Amino acid sequence: MYLHVPVLIVVLLLAASYTVPLLDRFRRSLALPITILSLITAFISSLYLLYLIGVRGPFAYHLGGWPPPWGIELYIDYLAVYMLIVISSIGLLIMIYGAKDLLHEISREVLSWYYTLYLLLMASMMGIALTNDLFNLFVFVEISAIASCGIISAKADRRCIEASIKYLILSALGSGCILLAVAMIYMITGNLNFDYVAAALPDALKLYPYNIVIALGLFVVGFGVKSALFPLHVWLPDAHSSAPSPSSAILSGLVIKIYAVALVKLLFRVFPAQIYDVIPILDIILFLSVFAVMAGSIFAMVQDDLKRMLAYSSIAQIGYIFMGIGLFGGRALTGGLLHIFNHAMMKSMLFLAAGLIIYATGIRNLKDLKGIGVRMPWTMGAFTIGALSMVGIPGTSGFISKWFLALGALDLNRPFYVAIILLSSLLNGIYYFPIIIDAFFGTKMNPVSEFRDVPALMLIPVLILAAGVIFFGFYPKPLLDLVSKAISF
Amino acid sequence: MELIPKLINNSYYFAAMILFVIGFHTMLTHSNLIKKIIGMNIMDTSIFLFFVSIGYVRGGRAPIIQEGAGFLYVNPLPSALILTGIVVAVSVTAFALSLIVKLYAHYGTVDADEIALIRAREER
Repeated sequence: MYLHVPVLIVVLLLAASYTVPLLDRFRRSLALPITILSLITAFISSLYLLYLIGVRGPFAYHLGGWPPPWGIELYIDYLAVYMLIVISSIGLLIMIYGAKDLLHEISREVLSWYYTLYLLLMASMMGIALTNDLFNLFVFVEISAIASCGIISAKADRRCIEASIKYLILSALGSGCILLAVAMIYMITGNLNFDYVAAALPDALKLYPYNIVIALGLFVVGFGVKSALFPLHVWLPDAHSSAPSPSSAILSGLVIKIYAVALVKLLFRVFPAQIYDVIPILDIILFLSVFAVMAGSIFAMVQDDLKRMLAYSSIAQIGYIFMGIGLFGGRALTGGLLHIFNHAMMKSMLFLAAGLIIYATGIRNLKDLKGIGVRMPWTMGAFTIGALSMVGIPGTSGFISKWFLALGALDLNRPFYVAIILLSSLLNGIYYFPIIIDAFFGTKMNPVSEFRDVPALMLIPVLILAAGVIFFGFYPKPLLDLVSKAISF
Repeated sequence: MELIPKLINNSYYFAAMILFVIGFHTMLTHSNLIKKIIGMNIMDTSIFLFFVSIGYVRGGRAPIIQEGAGFLYVNPLPSALILTGIVVAVSVTAFALSLIVKLYAHYGTVDADEIALIRAREER
């Protein structure tokens, strides 16, 4: 029975997502508790899976008892469990924050539909982390694409709708690329299961090299659009800045990374190593990631909207993750994957803190934030920790992942990338530090007409995330153990 | 000159790829949002055609197995997959169109460039 846990996590979240709108009609007060409860269950189940693979090692689960190549297979390895824990923990905290915040950001009628979309998004992300089947991967990718557009447009503001349609069109473009790539792979291997495809590809590479190269290129473009790899990032600033704060937090914190993880699974578990002699795909990703890291920070500098600045900063940070993938040395990839969790913590905390500021004062413009630290010490304190972690000050978790990336680059004798990491950290400092300095030491704040007190329920998740950033900055060992097991493909 | 016989032999794939590029190009270059959605549908359909033609076996019939008949059957798996793909494409289209309706209510146009102009004028 306990072996059914992996599929039950996804099924539970799906079932809850369909129950919530029904509850809204008959027992409105139950909708939110059910949502939170299912997220808590998902988190506990993820921890249980971690214990389970610690005892019996990675295992496969056959849906409906059909073994591959006929049935769909879930493969529960350390990478999948790592992602499950990241998604369920951060997703739970964001939803606890959203319980209060959403009441004033979106109208009451669509509130339970928002929970539905949120749970669908969580379920599909967990599905992407778990699945071992190409077509199943595509289906989960599409579910998460629609759900993430939905939680942007839930706020019936015209900027949100515009951002949402831009995201939807580019996202559909990416999905099309992914499906065509799946077709190319199926055409030459006749299989959809990752392991079977991986076994068939080395031989197929000699017969049909073009198909495989095209498929690889389409996968990189498809997942690159969805995870906002630098030249394909154009949808991200609008989408992440105009959405309700919980949506921004989950989109920036989790959604863009899960596609990077899907790409990691495909690149290192499905495609044979010989493909890198045919096309230097890792070098291309590395090249783009360098641009992402620099350009994201430079664009972020010139923004005057708080959430827009954070959105551009996400483009730079996703660059670090892709840099880890592109370098593909032991420690560099560890750094890249570690940055998934660290950035998920930092960026969702920063977006939630920005949401708190907007909730309390209605201010979005960076110039008006002078002296806000005196009025909201806890929020700005958490914001400061997040900003320091973004820059990579030792003692915060952001330092650990950058440290490992730099060490990995040195292992591979590529000191150029160490310089890039240093330079981009300085660039991060240029746009984060003025905010902190202004907030705490700036001249007196402009008199705000309305200043609302922040509910404790909204502040607590932010503070937990801030504590997490500090904790994993000083004691990264459990995470490092997990990630170093996750990269043994 | 061996390219042309190759293309004729693989005419299904060739047609699907041409459609894919037409859809892709429409989606990226047209500023009219409805045309973008049409482009998206052309692109999706081309992939479905491509997928289904992979499973086609010349002279094969629908895979309803009859004992001892010894017919040649087509591969049913791509068709089954594409059924899911069509459902996904329909829902994405419906969602996109509903967003466009809302956008039209706000701006009075479905042209992305005009919307950008209107916004730029308002912000000034």
